Order: sequence, then structure tokens, then C-alpha cells
Amino acid sequence: MIEENIRIIRLIFILPLCIFLFQCNPGQKNIPKAKKGVLAKPLIIKNTTENKFLSQYGFFKGELADLKPSKDVFPYNLNTPLFSNYAYKKRFIYLPEGVQMSYKEDDVFSFENGAVLIKNFYYPGDFRMENGTKKIIETRLLIKENNIWKPLNYIWSEDQQDAKLNYVGEKINASWIHTDGTKKSIIYNVPNNNQCKNCHLKGKDISPIGPTVAQLNRKYAMLSEKMSQLEFYKEKNILKNLPEHKNFPKFAVWNNEESGSLEDRAKAYLDINCAHCHQPKGSAKNSGLDLRLSQINLRKQGIFKPPIAAGKGSGDLQYSIVPGSPNESIIIYRMNSNDPGVMMPEVGRSIVHHEGVNLITEYIKNLKVDASR
Amino acid sequence: MPEYNPERNYIDLEEEILEAFILAKDSSTIQLPEGHFLFSQSLSLDGKKHLTIKGMGMDKTVLSFKGQEQGAEGIKISNSQNIILEDFSIEDAVGDNLKISDTDTLTINRIRSAWTGKASTENGAYGIYPVLSTHILIQDCEAIGASDAGIYVGQSQHVIIRDNKAFFNVAGIESENSSHVEIYNNDSYQNTSGLLIFNLPGLTVYGNNIKAYNNKVYDNNLKNFGVKGSIVSAVPKGTGVIIMATKDVDFYQNFISNHKTTNLAVVSYEIFAADQDPEAKVFIDANESNGIRTIDSDFQKDQAYDPYPGRVYVHDNSFKNEHYLPTFSNDFGKLWFFKNKAIIPDIVYDGILPMGTKLSDPDVKVCIRNNGDASFAFLDAANEFEYFSNDLKPFNCIIK
Repeated sequence: MIEENIRIIRLIFILPLCIFLFQCNPGQKNIPKAKKGVLAKPLIIKNTTENKFLSQYGFFKGELADLKPSKDVFPYNLNTPLFSNYAYKKRFIYLPEGVQMSYKEDDVFSFENGAVLIKNFYYPGDFRMENGTKKIIETRLLIKENNIWKPLNYIWSEDQQDAKLNYVGEKINASWIHTDGTKKSIIYNVPNNNQCKNCHLKGKDISPIGPTVAQLNRKYAMLSEKMSQLEFYKEKNILKNLPEHKNFPKFAVWNNEESGSLEDRAKAYLDINCAHCHQPKGSAKNSGLDLRLSQINLRKQGIFKPPIAAGKGSGDLQYSIVPGSPNESIIIYRMNSNDPGVMMPEVGRSIVHHEGVNLITEYIKNLKVDASR
Repeated sequence: MPEYNPERNYIDLEEEILEAFILAKDSSTIQLPEGHFLFSQSLSLDGKKHLTIKGMGMDKTVLSFKGQEQGAEGIKISNSQNIILEDFSIEDAVGDNLKISDTDTLTINRIRSAWTGKASTENGAYGIYPVLSTHILIQDCEAIGASDAGIYVGQSQHVIIRDNKAFFNVAGIESENSSHVEIYNNDSYQNTSGLLIFNLPGLTVYGNNIKAYNNKVYDNNLKNFGVKGSIVSAVPKGTGVIIMATKDVDFYQNFISNHKTTNLAVVSYEIFAADQDPEAKVFIDANESNGIRTIDSDFQKDQAYDPYPGRVYVHDNSFKNEHYLPTFSNDFGKLWFFKNKAIIPDIVYDGILPMGTKLSDPDVKVCIRNNGDASFAFLDAANEFEYFSNDLKPFNCIIK
């Protein structure tokens, strides 16, 4: 009783003082100050042989920032992409002359040494005018070398003349006019080299994520109005082993209702945004959650699955997905959070993808557990 | 709640240290200088071989993740071989302070993992956390303030945990689903529970074969501040040691004292599941709503998982208790009031057995002998405590 009184008295005195003096918000995190240090001697000997600038590769002709592909550089697009703070992406595959990629039925296509996947992240100044001015933030490369994939990252200069090799990541201010006409402004985190691996790790090796048959199975105006990407690549003789039939699997487009049912779109979204880690070979395999579209076990999909080592990431909730109850589903709680100890995905975004959360919320709301499955 | 408040003057060498972690070549050493270094993001290592990361001592080199903005771990190491970490402190990561996965041959020497301030649910989960790894040595370390386990080895094989201290955590030291583990010369005190030897269902790897000796486990009566839904949040405060659902446990020459629920408990997973574990609720829900077979089959039909302890040998330990009255904060404490003359037993065994077996069957046997004048409670929990007993005679056996 006495203790309780003391606590109340303390609160009465301290709270107003605290608010007045420091404008403190109990919910906000205290980030301590640190003064910049200087090393007496370098921690490691640096001797890297990578290209320092993106322009050195010769992937693009003309003005670098126009991203006009050179010979042997082929654009591609995905049905449902990873959310990256609303950034737009322009993707390319570089295949040295005579080098092909090969079709895989249920995995990422395989690539020979020398192939490079090129992904440019940019923001149009105004999302309602996609072909207007833009600011390119970074270009991520996956280079196939000595039979392994190597991630490298280049950050564009403010004047957009070139992009420079970066290992440690960087915080960059990005702003744009959103589709609804509002002005958005965020701190965009360019990942450091190890964060690249965090998502691209499959087993012990690094692997691309996007270029699967189901993701590439679509038309892309940059290539052809008439045929799908798969057919185009086949015609250009850069894709081998593509079967003759045309019944290739196809991911729904997450925000296009005509492309698939609510469930198809939600599962495609979860696959590309979560399943690079949440699958048996991914870095979150110890969670037991498998969000690949191909997973049919309900519990592994998260339905009534209790957390394993989520810590406070569980938000005091009991299951990843509770059919009919998005508010009781850990997955929604974590997608809706920006707290680094809670948020999912844990890298690659600094803001919530509201449209994505809405999609998964609707999916869970309408989810009925089918006893016959 | 107890607090840990060291004085800190932070220095920013984030970019330099991060770059060293990323670009470090195999077979090299990163020597960290003296200072309290503050980071806004995780430090990670992946796919490295023969790498040593060294500080100038756990009081001198501090890597702090207070106010971390990116990543959940403090230091995260994966897919590596022959890694040595020594002589520094890791503090205040949002998630785990030090997580190592899929790594072979790992030495963690004189590392302090701590959350500063009050022991709180807001603290990260695991202090020192090797998982899915092999050949692990954790020695002369300290673990403070974890909202799950201070030193936690999960789903790993060939592990030595020795000469460490763990305090102000929910679980001081925990071996979970790991095999060939030796835990000795550790001090675990002022946690919710001192030492957990657990085997949990639904994981890819199961554990057995644990030796624990010469440990001092005492005064673990801290209020449970684990996150709801986590396994440790179901651990009653005031339990010194819990051996759960694990086979081949040799527990000897330990000093266990001053716990308000019990000094040592040997239990099956069912006693956890029955009460608090979400798994059990899935069960009930599933059965109530027309059965989701894929779910309810997981726990019971999980062929690889065995929810019962067996070949557990508790001998030559020293038990003491200064507490006279059991805590009323959990069902066990209450049970002692009603069934055990309000005496806190030193050793508890739930006696839940697999169908068709009896206590003396070699595979499920629990032997308890030469523990001085330790008091004992056999719960017979499977039969509503019908044969509740304090008689140790049926357990006076030897496991070789």
C-alpha cells in the first residue's frame, strides 16, 4: 500500500516535469548519443578487387541513369514483387554472349558463371507520373562467379551520374508524391552486404529469389506486347530447357484482382515477401513457418501455429494465423510494426506496407479452415 | 525487479566495425579496441572460417545496441566454422544479443551478454544463443537480463557450458533439444529458473544425453517476465532446475538451494502442455472445431518426439532451502500447501509415463539417490495425485 502511494506520488511529480522538460514520450525509444571515434589503426586489411563504380560494368548505354540496357542485358519483371519502401524497381539479367539460363520447374532458374542479376531501386518524383523525373537510390547486383552468387551494392550519387560500391549500407532520405497525391518522405536503408545474404541465403549458398517460372510467366512491355517473357527469352535463345507445353505455373499479381483469388494473391505476396527466409532452407527455418506458396500443410503455413523463438515478436499472441481473426494473428501484428524487434520482414523496409497488410488481413478474415484438407 | 546499470560513454565506430565484420578474411583476427561502441544495426558474419573476434576484456570493450534501428540481433553469426569470440560485452539488442546458427566449432570465451536497466519483458530474448550448431564451448561468460534465457543452446550437438554466471534472466541457462551437452561449474542465481534441460516438440532436432555437475543454482525466485506465449513464460518462478522430456540425463554433485517452488523438477512435456502451452490449446480447439488433423497430429503423432523424461539420474547433489513456505503464485506452490504439508520439496517428479509402461522400466526410469537429506515429492500427476508420495525408496536405483 505504502509502496503504491509512493509510486503514485512519484508519477504525479515526475510525469509533468518530464513532459515539460524533455517532451518525452514513454513509447518512444531512447537512442543514446555517441561521439564519433577514431581508430588508432585499421581493424582489417582491405584488398578488394571489385569494380568501384557501376559504370565500369557497361550494363547500360547512353546516360547511365536512363538504364538503357546494352547488348546481352535483358529486362525482366515479376508478377508479385518484394515490398521495398514503395521503391520502384527495374530489373535486368546480364548474360555474356552464348551463356544461357535454364528453366527449372519449381525453383529459381539456374545460371552459368558470368551471369549477373541487376536490380535498380528508384523513386519517381510523382507516383502518378511514372515516366517523369526519378531518383535512383541503389543498384544491387548478384554476380555468378566460381559457381557461387556474390552480392554487391552500388549507391547512386546525388547528381545521378554514377553509383559507387558500398559494403556497409547507408541511410538515404527519399521522398515522393504518392499515388493518392500526398507527399511521402522516408529514411531509406540501403542494406549492408551481410543483410543481402540474410535474404538470399538458401541452405549454405546464396541464391537469387525472383526469377522463377511462376514469377516470370507474364508479359512485359519493355520486351514485347505479344508474348510472355518466357517465350521472348526462348526466342532470343537465352533460355534453355523450356518445355514445349504452355501450362506454366503463374503467380497472381498481388494488387490485381483479375489475376487471381484473394487466397492466390495473398499467398503470392507472402511467398515473395516472407518465404525467402521462412522456408526449410531459409534463414528463418528454425521458426518452423513455411510461407512458400507450394506449402500445403496448414500448420506450416502458420495456421494455429504457435511461435517457437519469436520472443516479444509474438506480441502476446498465440498463433501466426488465426483464421477469421487477423487481430489475433502474429503475422499481421509483425507486418504492421516498425519496431526492429517485432517487424517482419526484419530488413528491407522501414515503413509499413499498408496495402500489403490490407491484403493479408482480408485473406485471414476470409480464411476458413477446411477440415478435409 | 533487479537492475544492472553500468556507466557508459558511447563512441561511434559503427561503420568501421561493421566493415570489418563484413570484409574480414578467413583465418584472421579482428581486434576490437577499448571503448563503449554504439550500433544502430546488427553486426553479422556469414560463411567465415577460422575467424577470431577479440575485445580488450568484458569490462573494457562493450558493443551496445541500445536504441537499435535495424535487425533484431546484436551479433549474428551463421554458416561458419572455427569461430572464436572473446573478451567483450554485448548489450541491449532488440532481439538476441548473440545468435549463432549453422556453425561448427565455436568458442565463446569471457563474453558478457547483458540488458541494462531493470529486468524487463522489453529486454531481448536470448543472451548467448547458439542454435543448430555443433562443437560449442561457452566458458567464463556472463548473461544478465534476458527475457527468455541467458545462455541458451538450442538444437545443437557436442556442447560444453562451463564456468559461466547467469542472473536476472527468466531462465539462467537452458539446453533445449540438444545432445551431448556438459554443463558444469556454472553459477545461476536470481533468475526465474536457474537451469532448464528441455526437449520440445515440433522441431527438427531432438536432444538427449546431458551431464550437469558442479553447478551452483540458487535463489532463482525472480518474477517471471517472459513474453506470453513463450515456453519459458510457463516456467514457475522459484524452480532451481527443470529436466523436461529429456532422456539420458546425469545430474550430480550440484549445489541447489533456496527456491520457493522446488529445487529440482523432473517432468514430462505433458505437465507443461496441460496447463499453459499453446500446443495443448491447439489440440482442444482442433477437436472442438471438427478436428484439424494436420494440427492435432503434430504433437502426438510426431514420431521423433518423446514427451517423457527417462534414464534420468539425480545423485550426489546437495540441496538446501532457507524458504519455509512455498510460493502461492503457481499451481505447484499451491499443491505443496494442500498435499505436502506446506513443505517445499527439494526434488519433484511428476510420474507421468507413456502408455503401458511402469516406473521401473529401463527407458523411462528416474533414479534419485545420495542427495543427503533432500526431501522429495512424487506427484502421480497422471492420476490426479492419487499416489502422491514422499517415499524415495522406489527411486533408489543406479543408471549406468
